Parts: sequence; structure tokens; C-alpha cells
Amino acid sequence: MKSFERYLLERTKLANSHTLAVYRANGGYKALEKVLKKPLTPAEIIAEMKASNLRGRGGAGFPCGMKWSFMPDPAKDPRPRYLAVNADESEPGTCKDRVLMEKDPHGLIEGCLIAAYAMRLQAVYIYVRGEYRKSYDTLLAAIAEARKAGLVGKNVMGTEFSCDVWMHKGAGAYICGEETGLMESLEGKRGHPRPKPPFPAGFGLWGKPTTVNNVETIFNVPFIVERGGAWFSSIGTQNSKGNFLCGISGHVEKPGVYELPFGVTAREIVDEVAGGIWKGRKCKAWFPGGSSCALLRGEDLDVVLDHDSLKAKGSSLGTAAMIVMDDTTSMARVMEIIARFYDHESCGQCSQCREGTQWLAQIFHRIATGHGKPDDVATLESLAKGMAPGKTICALADAAAIPTLSAVRIFKTELEECIRQAKDPLAPPRVEYAGAH
Amino acid sequence: MTKITVNGREIDADPKKPLIAACHENGIDVPMYCYHPGLRPVGSCRICQVEVKQGDAPARVVASCRTPVAEGMVVNTDSPKAHDVRRECLEFLLKNHPLDCPICDKAGECDLQDYSFAEGQTKGRTHEPRRKLEKRKSLGDVIVLDEERCILCSRCVRFFEDVTKKPQLTVADLGSRSVISTFLDKPLKGNYQGNIADICPVGALTLTRFRFQARVWNLSKHLSTCAECSRGCSVTAEVLRGGDTKRFRPRFNPKVNQWWMCDTGRFAFSHVNAADRAVALRRTAEGLEACDLDAALSAAANTLRGKSNVAVVLSPFSTNEEAAAAKALAARLGAKTCFVSPAPNALKDDFLHTGDPCPNRRGLTDLGFAGLAAADVAGALAGAGAVVLAGERVVELLGAERVAALTGTRAVLFDTHCVDAPALDACIGVPVHVEKDGHWTNVEGRAGRLTIARSAPRGVRALDLNLKRLSELVSPAGAKA
Repeated sequence: MKSFERYLLERTKLANSHTLAVYRANGGYKALEKVLKKPLTPAEIIAEMKASNLRGRGGAGFPCGMKWSFMPDPAKDPRPRYLAVNADESEPGTCKDRVLMEKDPHGLIEGCLIAAYAMRLQAVYIYVRGEYRKSYDTLLAAIAEARKAGLVGKNVMGTEFSCDVWMHKGAGAYICGEETGLMESLEGKRGHPRPKPPFPAGFGLWGKPTTVNNVETIFNVPFIVERGGAWFSSIGTQNSKGNFLCGISGHVEKPGVYELPFGVTAREIVDEVAGGIWKGRKCKAWFPGGSSCALLRGEDLDVVLDHDSLKAKGSSLGTAAMIVMDDTTSMARVMEIIARFYDHESCGQCSQCREGTQWLAQIFHRIATGHGKPDDVATLESLAKGMAPGKTICALADAAAIPTLSAVRIFKTELEECIRQAKDPLAPPRVEYAGAH
Repeated sequence: MTKITVNGREIDADPKKPLIAACHENGIDVPMYCYHPGLRPVGSCRICQVEVKQGDAPARVVASCRTPVAEGMVVNTDSPKAHDVRRECLEFLLKNHPLDCPICDKAGECDLQDYSFAEGQTKGRTHEPRRKLEKRKSLGDVIVLDEERCILCSRCVRFFEDVTKKPQLTVADLGSRSVISTFLDKPLKGNYQGNIADICPVGALTLTRFRFQARVWNLSKHLSTCAECSRGCSVTAEVLRGGDTKRFRPRFNPKVNQWWMCDTGRFAFSHVNAADRAVALRRTAEGLEACDLDAALSAAANTLRGKSNVAVVLSPFSTNEEAAAAKALAARLGAKTCFVSPAPNALKDDFLHTGDPCPNRRGLTDLGFAGLAAADVAGALAGAGAVVLAGERVVELLGAERVAALTGTRAVLFDTHCVDAPALDACIGVPVHVEKDGHWTNVEGRAGRLTIARSAPRGVRALDLNLKRLSELVSPAGAKA
């Protein structure tokens, strides 16, 4: 792997990196100062964001600058407006935002403030997953520290610009990480996603214009403002720019969260960064970006980990949370666990998702426990096609259907063998899950 | 208006309403479960998906309840793709549905049943056990919830949120474990609970008072008007095989009650189903005895003929037609007129119930009848030469004891039930409001129609015809009293 410049995780390696003093000593709040003191206009910042080509790091990969430019002009639309930062990181495999929030909370706060300035809004809500207690506490303390230092609240850095940053703790529902579910939850309601349209930029939190961004996306903002969109877009591949956080887990020697530039192959990540497949085994399958991406074969590891290359392979980058499975893994068991997750986390609004996720989980459970029926694989495929794409309010049904379709496509023989033998030849020792159906 | 094309037909659509409403208003059926025209659309059941083509973009399948209409939109509700999506959706909806249609009260008018028949597949593919949940969970005195049948459309939740504005229900838990629940399992409150059983598209919410009472295909449904207050909600009276009225249900009327009615009116059938109805009686030496209608009318005419200072007292349930006939009779007799005006009750709310238990106050007042409280009517009757009491429940509202205590006067009664009163010379049966044609005028001056949902007991004739006949008998046409 070629050497590259790291910026995202550099500060996290310092002692007391979560404190304002350490953050400031390492160039923190310089970008905000540049924005406020120079001063840059909101339009200039959005132009810089567009030039950077930063794509959202929350899974969908939507261009961030474009998303910001959807916010209506306050001269024409004087309603209050909000930024909601999606820190409800709960996709299986994904654990990158947690590092940033625990180790470098001021980086996120600075990003929020610049985003608020660029979109001309006065309130930012950070929605943290309920289980992330340390992230919540660290961020809360950092906000208090920043507020004391005049960086958050009225007249930031003594300028006309005022912006408050508020925290909200989720109650542990995956669905609250869906942007409209997150807004409902922030409003104090059940986290049921809203149908779109209307889109959040016109009708978001409390019916006001709202932008929802991922933690890592916002975290990139100060770097882009300080060093320029051109610098940012010089890193990476054609449509995937900058460095990204890759959370690699599963059967590798050194799982963890690593900072990497777009352009490296998955094999480089597994072999050179994560120390290779554990116990000297081979890779059987892997998820490139969390459990809602299509599964890929071990042979596909040579693909470059970016939006376009993975799309060409029939999968997607998602949150770049690689889950690697070695050649002893039972795919029936993997899919049983994944399907059970989506069944557990479906909000239950849409018929296809509520019943479909349960149905998939039940079928995979039967196959994995040796009770498969000959028509099960065909049923799985047709159910997954009946659930997605775009047949439901949000993408959770798609998230359950995509790995199912890929598993049925790639590992059809293995699943059929489980059914034929009435047992899973690769079955690991079972620890029964109390909530299983 | 926005011009759109649906199934090859160009239609004018209201831009404020979703696509599904435009289809329905133009007679194009699109299935729906969570959508209800009176509730905020949520787009969750996904059964209303249709194919839409806008501009040059490829055709998409969208949920029509959450899709705004746009100029030039081309909609196909009938395309193979749309049918496929709806068939898949039905398969998911039926996966955990208990299919206990043979014992379900909703069978026959169930949207799940209807659309499964129209668009579903004939074979189920599930090998899984169906969800086992509470089959008869009481949600209070009015509603019983069958959690297994529920398809979680959330109409009932939104009814309390959007219509009565007092949320009482919620969807508890997540995903396939979701169930409808009241907050903290408290029983439902309020006078509008029954509506959620009407809007429930399946048999999950049933009325305690209608459960297992009738198969709905044996009920004949007739247009009617609620008798319980001066709002005059449009209803259907549903009669089992020409016998008892088994339920009243709201009938859509945009100007009066929209889709709703209160529970007081919904369950007001104790009177209409009462047994032992009076047909025709007249006083003989032995007391009041059954006779034929003509004999009873003659007896009544004899009582009234030549009397001065006659009083005609109407029931507040009299129709405008009956009141007009009573007015004509009163004119012939030179009689005073009034109607018994029951006191306002405590049921008044800020939604439908007016608290005035007189369904035709406006109509009777417009025809010149004064509304008097029962005690005042009794006072006015004391010195009358003769009295005509006419209309269903007139005795009940006046007080049977007051009628029994009438002295110094003779009385003629038209009511559903006779009363043992020494002053009574004749008693002639009347139809109850589900047995007659006519109109009431509601508090806002709108006419509410009554139709014959069931024939009156044999020998009972319409009150207005009887009053006209009585007028003839008292003083033949041409002669003035």
C-alpha cells in the first residue's frame, strides 16, 4: 500500500485528546476562526464543500455540499432551521463514529459550528445512540467546555454568529439512525420513519428545514475549510474523495478502526492493515460496509474500496465497515443472525418490512437449524424481491433484502446443502438467543 | 384542478388531496388499509401502490396515499407491476393473519378479505407458525381487540390523534412484535370509541355490543339519521332479517358528521327494538281494549269532536311530515300546539354531540311548535278540553305518571306503547324512526332523511297518515270546526 497522509485520527492518538486544551494546541478551532474572522460567506463554504466532493459517510454516500445547498434561503424562508448530526451508529459492523466522539469530540463540535454557519442555522442536535454512554458523556463535557470558552452559544468567538449544540440520547433503536426516524425520535415520538417527500430540507425537525449528516461527514468539514476543497478532492478515486474510516471486524488478526484513503483495495486492508485472515485461513465472504450491503466472495477482495468499484461488483460502500468471514463460517448461520437483527429492528410500519423481516429470519433460522424445506431458497429470493427496492417508507426493508439476495445468489449451493442434509455441516456450537422466534 | 390520466382516462384531481383520493373520487378502485380519507395519511400498509409515470422518467410504483398529484401524471392502477406489488404486499399481510374468517365478525365487509379475493394469491407459502397473541383483549366497555387479526394500519391510533385530538392508543413494541395498545393499558374513554371499529379494515377491533350478534351479509342497510341529538348524524340502520336493528353506523356526510358518530347514537337501539308494541286500542266499559285501526281512530275522533281548547302535543322525535299533519289537525281543531322538549343532557362535547336530545327541534320550531319542558306541558294540559299526544316516546318523555294523572280532560295517544291512563280514550300505534320515511331538520338547518329500514308491526300505519285521517274524521273536508 502506498503511504498516505492521515488527518482524521491523528489527534485521537494524543493523551487527553478529548479536552479543549489538547484540541486547541493541535490546531483546533482554527478552521472556525478562519470562517468567522476572515470572514467567509456561507456561500463560499458551501462552494468549498462542493469542490471537495465529500460524500456522506453514513452509508448512502450523498454529496454533502449538495445536501447543504438544498436548505432554503433564509431571506425567502425565515423559519428556524436545524442540523441534526446522526450519531446513532448501530449497523452491525460499524463502529467508526464512536472513536471520533470519544477521542476527538471537539473536532465534531467545530464541524457542527461551521456547518451551522454555512447553512445559517442556530441549533445543532447531536443524536447519539443510547448504548454509546461514553460518547455521550464525552461529547456533553466537550460541549460544556466549548460553551465556557465562548465557542458554543451566543456570539461565538465574539462575533455576530450564535449557535447552540444540543445532545440527545437515543433509546437503542437501529431505526432511529434513519434520518426521518431520527427526526421523529428527536421530536420525542416513536422513531417511525416518515414518508418522503416532503424531504427534510423543506420539512424536517418540527416541520422546519433540517439537514441530517453523519458524524464522520461533519468531522471532515473543518479539514476541508482549513485546507481547501481542492486538497480534499486530490485524495482518493474519481467519485470517492478524501480519507475514510474503515471499521474492520470479523475473522481478521487485528480488527479495529483504521483511517485509509479511497483507492486501496479490500485485500490491502485485510492483509496489510488488519493483519490478514486469522489463523492463516482463507476469506470466504465479506461485507464491504456493514450488514446491509450485498455480501461479496473472498475472491472479490481485490476490489478497490470505493463507491464506484463496489457498485460495479453489485454491492456498496455503506459505512465502510468491513465484516470478514473465514472459510469455516456457516453462511446459513451468518444470515440467520443478520436476518434476526433486521426483524428485531424493523419499526413495523410497512407491511413488507414488518412481516418480511420476520419471515426471512424464520426461514434462515430453520435452514441453520436443519429444518429447511426444499422451497426455502426460492421463497427467500422471492420474499426479498417483494420487500425491495423502494417498496417501503424507508430503506430498512432494502437493508434486509440486499444481503439476503446476495447470500441466495452466491451461497445457494451451501444453503441448499443445509436443507438437503437437514443439518448445517458448518454449524458452530449454538448459543440460543433468548429473543429468537 | 390538476389534470392527470388514470388508466387511460383524463381526470381532474384536487391538488390538495393525494393521488388515491383522486382515483376514488373518479370511481377507480385502489385498495387501502392505512389510508382513510378522514385521517392523516401515513403510507405504511403499502397496499395502495400504483404505477406512476411523470415526464420522461421511467414508470415507478408508488404508494398512492402519499403521492401528491402533479399535472400530466400518468397513472396505471391496473398494470402487471402494480398488481404484483399489491399481491406481494397481501402475502406479507396474511403471513401472520389467523384467517379465522368463519368466526370473525368482520367477515363479509373486511377489506383484507375483499382485496385478498380480488388481488391475492390462492396459495400460502409460509411454513412458519402464525403469531400467537391476545385474541380478546378488552379496551374498555365498547371495544374488544383481537391482536392476531390486526394488520397494524394504525387507523385507530390516528383516529384519536387526528379526530378527537385526545390520543388514547399507540403501537407498542417494534416490528413484527408490534401490537395496538392503550397507554398503560388503561381502558378507552370518551363517547367516540365505536368509530375505531368502523374504520378498522379487518376484524381486530370489534364492538362488544355487536360481537357475534349477526353475520353482516344478513344485515340489510338502510339510510337513516341518528335520533340521539340535534346534530342528526347521517347513519345507516342495519337490520337483521327484517327484525331487530343490530347496529347504527355513521354514513359519510361531509356537512354534518363526516365519517363519525358518537357511541350514544351508535348503541341507541333499546327503543327501536322494544317489544310489545301498541297497535290500536280504544276505551270500552272494561277499559282499554285492542281493536282495529279504524275503530281506534273513530274513538279518537269522537273524543276530539266539538271540543274547544284542545292541545296537540308532539314528541320531539316527530318528523317534519308528521308535524305538518299535526299542524293541519290542530288548525281544524283550533288547538294549541307544542312539543315536549327534553332537557339538555351532559353528553355535549366539542365534536358532534350537541347535548340536545331532540333530533328535530329546529324542524318543529320552524313549523311553529313551541318546545316546552315536560312539567310545563303537563301544566298546560290541565285545563284542556281534549289532548292529542302524538309521536314515538311522547309518553316516556312527558312522564307516564303525568299522563296517568291527567284529569278533567280526555286524551288521544299516538305512541309505540300504550299507558294505563284513565283519561285515555284511544291509543294508536306509531312506527319508530327506523320504520318510517320522513325528515328531521338538524341544529344547523340541514334535513336528515329517515327511510323504512324495517316494516312497522302489522296494523301500525304512519303517524302522518293517521293524523290526516283523524282530521277527516273530526271534521270532514270543507267543514270548519
